[in-house]
Amino acid sequence: MCQSASEPAFAGIDVGSLTTKAVIISNDGIAGSGVVPTGVRPEESGPEVFRIALKAANLSEEDVAYLVATGYGRVSSDYADKTVTEITCHARGAYYLHPATRTIIDMGGQDCKVIRVNGEGNVTDFAMNDKCAAGTGRFLEVMSGVFKVDINEFGPMALRATDVVPISSTCTVFAESEVISLIARGELPENIISGIHSAISNRIAGMAARVGVEGDVFFSGGVAKNAGMKAALERSLRSSITVPAFDPQLVGALGAAVIAETTGRKAGA
Amino acid sequence: MTLRAIANVRDALASRPAEIEAARKQGAKVIGWFGYATPIEIIHALGLIPIRLGRGGDDRLVEIGARYISNQNCVFLRASIGLFAEKNDVYVKNVDAVAIDGTCLQMYRMADLLDYYFKVKTVVLCVPRTFQTAGARAYFHRELQWFVHELEEIAGTPLDPEKLAESVALYSSIRNTTRELYHHVSRGRLSLTWRELYEAVHAGYYLSPEKYASLLHELLARVEHGENTVAASDGPRIMLSGSVLAPGDTKLIEIIEQAGGRVVVDDLWSGLSPSLVRINEPTVTGIADAYMDRVPHAAQPHLDRQTDHRLANMMRLVRESNVDGVIYHTLRYCDPFTFKAVEVKEVLGNEGIPMIEIHTEYAGSDTEAIRTRVEAFIELLTSRGCRPGQPVAEVRV
Repeated sequence: MCQSASEPAFAGIDVGSLTTKAVIISNDGIAGSGVVPTGVRPEESGPEVFRIALKAANLSEEDVAYLVATGYGRVSSDYADKTVTEITCHARGAYYLHPATRTIIDMGGQDCKVIRVNGEGNVTDFAMNDKCAAGTGRFLEVMSGVFKVDINEFGPMALRATDVVPISSTCTVFAESEVISLIARGELPENIISGIHSAISNRIAGMAARVGVEGDVFFSGGVAKNAGMKAALERSLRSSITVPAFDPQLVGALGAAVIAETTGRKAGA
Repeated sequence: MTLRAIANVRDALASRPAEIEAARKQGAKVIGWFGYATPIEIIHALGLIPIRLGRGGDDRLVEIGARYISNQNCVFLRASIGLFAEKNDVYVKNVDAVAIDGTCLQMYRMADLLDYYFKVKTVVLCVPRTFQTAGARAYFHRELQWFVHELEEIAGTPLDPEKLAESVALYSSIRNTTRELYHHVSRGRLSLTWRELYEAVHAGYYLSPEKYASLLHELLARVEHGENTVAASDGPRIMLSGSVLAPGDTKLIEIIEQAGGRVVVDDLWSGLSPSLVRINEPTVTGIADAYMDRVPHAAQPHLDRQTDHRLANMMRLVRESNVDGVIYHTLRYCDPFTFKAVEVKEVLGNEGIPMIEIHTEYAGSDTEAIRTRVEAFIELLTSRGCRPGQPVAEVRV
């Protein structure tokens, strides 16, 4: 990236499995952002969403002094000045938005993580799900497909449940067949959907216990938009959870931009 | 730059299969072995050729092995059975019998499978679940006497006390030299990397102990002479612990290196740990005592935080090697080490040492997921202020 004569801006790009996100920050805070599907060419989705975020911020590429890429597609981000893992970036983004954060639950498209941070926003421990879709956005997408319900309606439906039908499997394939059998048994869709959310939240609570849950709990990632999942997590963790007013899907990209600013300024930007 | 002595180890290894085949034609017998308490000095003293078997990193072998055992069993075990099913491995092809000890119960069961499916002669050394009671120690003494008797039958000769003393001295020399090399590797300036030393340790699985001892002495002499000494590379100082990282299983090691981490020490069953056996009395009883008194395997269940000197050994290595963080490797379905992971993390955490468990198998499908975990761990260590080239305490392992 080049630096213009005016006050520089800094960018973070989070190339996730399903979507690629960009955030640009400047002295005035968050200047612009964007989201595009990652598709099969993550090396192209990064520059594409960068252009969208630049346009939203009314900036040009030359205004950006430093760019950090994160997410699983960071390995193919030749355009970045630096790459940082999404674990560190989510921690930094959450801390930027809510400095009291000490525990972060991030649920993305293909993974789920619990991150502990200290009073400086540095990661002190973390845990991630195994190579399995349980506890991820992809799991919820498949389940919403079984009910032929839009993913954005899935969480609100869980909140309308009158009872929680236990789901024993968090394996995407097995859970799908279990759900079909529960529908055939005549269980209310809302109650089954609530059970799906509880199954995931209980699994995440187990993962959280391995790193310990302390302080303010911050919920990030695309799944954090799901109010039903927030409620289920609050039940499982017996703790209130903060979902930022800022798009939680962009927290990783925001953290990358924050790191870009720190690193870029150290480098003289 | 790789030391000439490491190149010599590689050269010796390249010619070893042909040497073994030639020796067998002359009537020599090869004992392939697996396990943690199999006393190789006894195999060698009987004129048998000990070869430590097992390879890692090859998912194809795991799948072949799964034709004979559940795919819910240890990955290393399945791959090892796959070696016998396929019988392409140059060493497996040349074994006359296989010795296995019962430290890890999954490996212990492998003896049944090798016997049943592949008609391999096996000798099983039973190991008590604890070494802390007089009864258990007496049991192991008797078991080792029986084990010797079985090997004597294969060798066609009784165990000669003088030859046993010579073998004990030879292997003690190898272990001492290996510990010295680990000491050098964990220092700030080095002419030998941990990765190269690990490769040399694995060469010892196959080479004759006489040749191997000579090569290790040459390696140590060159390291002590300061040959090719370079400044240590940047990056947090990592200790590797946990499940076996067998020859060929390089996925995690490469990811750590690519992420900027620097392995400086290990306590692996496939690394330093075998060199911690110290035999004071070159008799069968003395050997039994030495194997019982060594740092125990994670499979020994009667261990608590006060008596488990595996944990104490780990903490000593962490302190002496100035380790910044521990990467605890667990192989899928390797119960002994997965059971211990939470405990190890707590013990290290109490000393302010971060630990990450990396749970994996030989398939490559989790490579990028592991990369993210390892890179994040390196970032975590860096954020704690890890600095390359920190002064390192003297290490005597």
